Amino acid sequence: YSQQKTITGTVLDSSSLPMIGVNIVIKGTNSGTATDFDGNYSILVSEGQTLVYSYLGYETKERLIGSSTTYNLTMKASSTDLDEVIVVGYGSQKKGDITSSVASMKTDLLDQRPVAAVDQAMVGQMAGVRVVQTSGVPGQGFNVQVRGAGSISASNQPLYVIDGFPIDQQTQSTSGGYGSGNPLDNISPNDIESIQVLKDAAAAAIYGSRASNGVVLITTKKGKSGAPVINFNTYVGVNKTVKKLDVLSSEEWIERASEAIDYNWVNSVTDGSRNANQTSAEREAILGSFNRNFIKDDRWAMPGHPGLEFVDWQDELFRTGLVKNYQISARGGTDNIKYYVGADHLNKEGVAIGLGYKRYSARANVEVSPNDKLTFGVNLAPSYSIASNPGVEGKDQQLHLAVSATPVNEDGVDYNTGDNTVYTWGASRPSPVRYVQNTTGDTKLFRTLATMFGKYEVIPGLEVKSSLNFDNSDSSYKFFTPGFTDRNRTASARHRTYRRQSFVNENTVTYNNTFDDKHDLNLLAGGSYSTYKFDEQRIQSAGGFATDYITTLNAANGINQGGTYTSETKRVLMSYFGRAQYSYDDRYLLTASIRRDGSSNFGKDTKWGTFPSASLGWKINNEEFMKTQNVFRDLKLRASWGVAGNNGVGDYASIATMGISNYSLGGSSMPGQVPSNSANADLSWETAETYDIGLDVGVLNNRIYASLDYYVKTNSDLLLNVPVPTSSGFGSAVTNIGEVQNKGWELELTTRNFTGDFNWTTNINLSSNQNEVKKLGPDNSPIYGGSFDIQHNVLQVGLPMYTLFLVQRDGILSQEDIDNGYPTLGNQSAGDHKYVDFDGNGSIGPEDRQLSGDPNPDLLWSVNNTFKYKGFDLSVLVQGQQGGLIYSTFGRAINRTSMGFVENTVGRARDRWRSAESPGAGVEGKVNGSFGRIKNTDWLYSSDYWRIRNITLGYDLGAILKSKSIKGLRVYVTMENWFGGDKYSGGFNPEAVNSSGDDYGGFPLSRSIISGLNFTF
Amino acid sequence: CSTDELDQSPISDLGANGFYSNTEEFEIAINGAYSTLRFFPDTQFHLQEVRSDNMYAITETGVRPFEPVNNLDNSIATNTYLSDVWDTNFEGILRVNTILESLNDNVVSDQATRERMEGEAKFLRAFFYFDLVKTFGKVPLIDQVYTPAQTLEIGRSDVSEIYNLIVSDLNAAISLLPPSFSGNQLGKATSWAAKAMLGKVYLTKSGPTYGIEGPGLNSGEYNLAIDLFDDVINNGPFDYEDDYATIFDYDNENNSEIIFDIQYNSGAEVGADYPSITVPDAYLRANGAGFTNGEDNKRVSEDLINSYDLLDVRDDVTIIDGYTDENNIFNDVTFYGKYIDLNFKGRDRFDWGLNYPVIRYTDVQLMRAEAILMSNTGRQTDVDTPVNFIRTRAGLVGNLANVDIDGLLAEKRLEFAGENTRWADLVRTGKVVQVMNAWITNDDVSGKIATMKEDFVIYPVPSNQITVKEGLYQQNEGYN
Repeated sequence: YSQQKTITGTVLDSSSLPMIGVNIVIKGTNSGTATDFDGNYSILVSEGQTLVYSYLGYETKERLIGSSTTYNLTMKASSTDLDEVIVVGYGSQKKGDITSSVASMKTDLLDQRPVAAVDQAMVGQMAGVRVVQTSGVPGQGFNVQVRGAGSISASNQPLYVIDGFPIDQQTQSTSGGYGSGNPLDNISPNDIESIQVLKDAAAAAIYGSRASNGVVLITTKKGKSGAPVINFNTYVGVNKTVKKLDVLSSEEWIERASEAIDYNWVNSVTDGSRNANQTSAEREAILGSFNRNFIKDDRWAMPGHPGLEFVDWQDELFRTGLVKNYQISARGGTDNIKYYVGADHLNKEGVAIGLGYKRYSARANVEVSPNDKLTFGVNLAPSYSIASNPGVEGKDQQLHLAVSATPVNEDGVDYNTGDNTVYTWGASRPSPVRYVQNTTGDTKLFRTLATMFGKYEVIPGLEVKSSLNFDNSDSSYKFFTPGFTDRNRTASARHRTYRRQSFVNENTVTYNNTFDDKHDLNLLAGGSYSTYKFDEQRIQSAGGFATDYITTLNAANGINQGGTYTSETKRVLMSYFGRAQYSYDDRYLLTASIRRDGSSNFGKDTKWGTFPSASLGWKINNEEFMKTQNVFRDLKLRASWGVAGNNGVGDYASIATMGISNYSLGGSSMPGQVPSNSANADLSWETAETYDIGLDVGVLNNRIYASLDYYVKTNSDLLLNVPVPTSSGFGSAVTNIGEVQNKGWELELTTRNFTGDFNWTTNINLSSNQNEVKKLGPDNSPIYGGSFDIQHNVLQVGLPMYTLFLVQRDGILSQEDIDNGYPTLGNQSAGDHKYVDFDGNGSIGPEDRQLSGDPNPDLLWSVNNTFKYKGFDLSVLVQGQQGGLIYSTFGRAINRTSMGFVENTVGRARDRWRSAESPGAGVEGKVNGSFGRIKNTDWLYSSDYWRIRNITLGYDLGAILKSKSIKGLRVYVTMENWFGGDKYSGGFNPEAVNSSGDDYGGFPLSRSIISGLNFTF
Repeated sequence: CSTDELDQSPISDLGANGFYSNTEEFEIAINGAYSTLRFFPDTQFHLQEVRSDNMYAITETGVRPFEPVNNLDNSIATNTYLSDVWDTNFEGILRVNTILESLNDNVVSDQATRERMEGEAKFLRAFFYFDLVKTFGKVPLIDQVYTPAQTLEIGRSDVSEIYNLIVSDLNAAISLLPPSFSGNQLGKATSWAAKAMLGKVYLTKSGPTYGIEGPGLNSGEYNLAIDLFDDVINNGPFDYEDDYATIFDYDNENNSEIIFDIQYNSGAEVGADYPSITVPDAYLRANGAGFTNGEDNKRVSEDLINSYDLLDVRDDVTIIDGYTDENNIFNDVTFYGKYIDLNFKGRDRFDWGLNYPVIRYTDVQLMRAEAILMSNTGRQTDVDTPVNFIRTRAGLVGNLANVDIDGLLAEKRLEFAGENTRWADLVRTGKVVQVMNAWITNDDVSGKIATMKEDFVIYPVPSNQITVKEGLYQQNEGYN
């Protein structure tokens, strides 16, 4: 220690009144003092030591002691939220000092609500962060989008950073799943301390080439000094499907099938000799053979329909599932050692038979500080999960089959399994119920996240930190379906395992200081090195199994070579970065950052990219001229600019590779290799430039607090998979070309309507984003997309991404239309669907497609009200979206044009056109349409919905039970997704996207009633 | 850690940069080029057989992509079979162009091997372009490796220019290829295959133009075709099979009729899909195939069925007249079963092991007859003899004399039903409009098929190629 001296000073509040009893301690020691009645203090310290001033309800301040002997200061009342320190990239900052756009989520109650996954917890919590639950299959990841989608071919998922560890980014497949692991897999929400989302480039650019879709920073719970606090949280409840699709009942199916068959029969000859009253026997005699298209099942009309069974397949498939969770944790510590340890188990049965999700996870976050300067620690989180899904979601999967299955047959739910055959008038697929009951589809994932770090304070204010991070996921998927429930009576199996490993080493130096009481400076410099490895093994059976009783591939009759292989990929990322944060007099704030990223995924001529950012803030309320007013407690203007990147291009995409394509010669398979992509040595990152302007306003003593942002985000040099003439030998080439702009506004509003005994707070989040394609490939030629039949969406300059491109449906053709030569699709007749002849060429075809709106919602909203009264707490979260469209290829599959009578179809077929005299509701045409299909607006739906995501009512028994050993006991009941409404009759979930922008059978969400217990001792 | 680590190369795929460096790699690349042919029979069936008067492929529901082909619909530019033909052939052209550009005496030092490889690549390029020109007329001429950006500047070349490349490639192949292959090269294109192919090219090129830019240029090269067919017939190692059925026998592959075929093998991921596509799903289920194909029934036309004499054995080999389903109900439908033998079923629908004949000896005989009749040069016995041979082989009684072009087409139709030659035969002989319209009037009871026009001799350019770059390709007349 240098020589000690006595310093003195006065502490005043913002009204320049002396503050009495301010606690002052020398940092890192137990010695200190407090201010007297006049706000004065004196203390013996050495130069280089730091004084910490704290007072309940005021912001804690620190002063580094230099050569001066007088240290006066003004303390500011803490305004709860603004004083809160939140995590930003490579550091933390007071919320009030942030100059970029960062959304912060309240997570203090996360362990007091039944939340199964971190992404689920984020739904409706932050403006501009759209968390879309595309699937109700338990364990399935959500789609998280920050400020709209700016990328067309590359990923639109944010970068996740858990306790400073950037997690390997995975691209969500077009079916909505994560084939090689979701960054949030197995992370227990109960362990989460806070979640921040870096929305603009100024905040995110410190993460460089991975940050264009925003960055989600997740911080897990850390130890705190003090006696151990033990928490035990548990809940149990039930869940069931939010929705059952309206399809025809068995009786209605019979009525429709009878109409179809009679129509076929009567119209099978032109001489009028056949009529609907002829019996089956008479018809068969006339025909000379049986034909189900002309002859009905006589039992349909008999009382009690002997020998037939009526089945409601959805009722058979859906069930009420049980949900259970247990979590125990302990946190505590001393000045030298702090710990948080927790263990968690979740068991969630899905809303359909065969579906389920189990998770076991544990976490230990331990920090050791042997002295003032050195801290090191370990965060270790092993976890294991089993997700069971025998194949319910998507095209031709079991839920689709259950919706379409013929509701009448001879064997009930044992339909077409084992020795049971297809019902003569029925569809050929076996019972979806027996299929899911007997099929295994388990994904087992063992994941370990580990971080080791050390930090050392070299001199006061200067800290070096180093971390080693490791993420290892081992996944194994086992699928087996026995022969007796397969349509071909052939068992099949496949296994897939993968190991995903990321290693990240990050080293940073930070320097913090305040000069002359007015200049706050915070500097950061660092470097990072990461490797990502992905190894995959697949094996698939061929030709069935020897027996249905052995489910492993040793019993398979053969191995499918195409489905059996192993593969490995590796990529490397190297980075350097720096940031300066400066504030003058707590009025003017400036932040600037820069990052250089080198990635092995980029072309050999473009390995390195630079990502700069800058942001400014002006705390108007701290200006002299604002001192006299008392309306605005906080008033801050922010402006920011930054450039972030997207490197979501496949490994080795810049390199020309060969693919296997064998050929048979001389009676055996000969090896063949063919060029599989076109090389692009210039392939590089996609650039996202964001301008953001924001205003933070707190009025009425911050009873009302609002944050408003307007942004323009332009993604250019898109990693676009541009269609090229296939005369090149390739259908498309990944090229840095094209531009997409997203602009919009976000409002976060918090009002504390009542404080005191009865406490009522309202949080409102609104956001609106407009998406526009600005440039595309060469010549800006539009790019058409959409699977199954002709293309039905388009990327076109001046329009939002994936604008729908469809023939317009216009009611039903009348005989008069036909007589007047109204354009038809093929040889349509009266009672068939009527379409608009857009190009006026006299017939309906693909050339009549028109721009028909886009899938992007105009407005996302959520309202969260929380009430507290004495021991009671109640919170209600309502959220929804407006102004978007969903195209349902699923709706199309279950209600095709001219689909015949065999499969079941949707409820609107009840009110179909039966004759000119009985035209029905004008939507569904006649049962015997026999014209071609065309992609049209019949399957276009609004994706508007509202949903009460969560209602939780809790009561704290702590007040009653309070004792030395029990610190708190809260009981609660939650209803999740119980109420809501949408306009989507073509599928189960208006947010479903599981086929390149369309819904092809997205699985319904669950609604649940759950009761729980939070016990603290 | 050094920045060299940023240069990662693929672990599980070959990088193209180091490939094409030795003989073995070229053999593998050539196998890859042949593998382009794997789904050739599928598109031929949908675009050549379904479109012709041999099939009345109308379903009850009218939602399958083969129906607009069958119905002579003019809005089929979006049809997947068309983009399959366009894309697959150009993929193959890239494969052979890459081989031809990399092939030199540094990488393949043995001259005979190198010449054989060049011959194979050129044969295949001609094969791909011949399919393209028959299907679409004008197409881009890609005779070297171009980057995707370069192909954005390459429009469609005149049909005659495409033929120039085809003819020069086949002439090169004739001189470079050996007359036969054996062992694990059996099934590759021989010089005989190139000759037969070139004869067919001249025959097609000499056909009528129909006033469109289609495969016929009225070039009057029938004599060149006849010379090549004569050479194959007189000097080649080929002959008729005595029994019609054995030509398509799973146990009799590479038989004496086969001049060039596409090779398949069951159980090794190099199997065929084409036998499956002609039969309905329920037929496979009822016969316990262990797999299904999801296909609708595609009916053989009444007109074709009625054309078979009761004695004709080819009817039974070619066409299945109904089947009994799982519930013991007889389904009175007709479909091609020429390539199906359930005793040789593979593990799935893509795993049939039967080679697909592209050119067989009988075809060369009948093409020579066609060239004679079309050009009015040559001997009538070279027309009548093969016609009477196939009639006799089919079990028919009585010889024909002075067979004319209509008679030849009628006989060829019975012989080659289900072999996807009918549409091209009608096009080459100038009969397609007349024959199709007469048949439509008779057979199209439900009135679904449009009137045949000259424009429909070729197909539209796939719409996804038209939209890649506005104005690069013009759509063919008669289609929108």
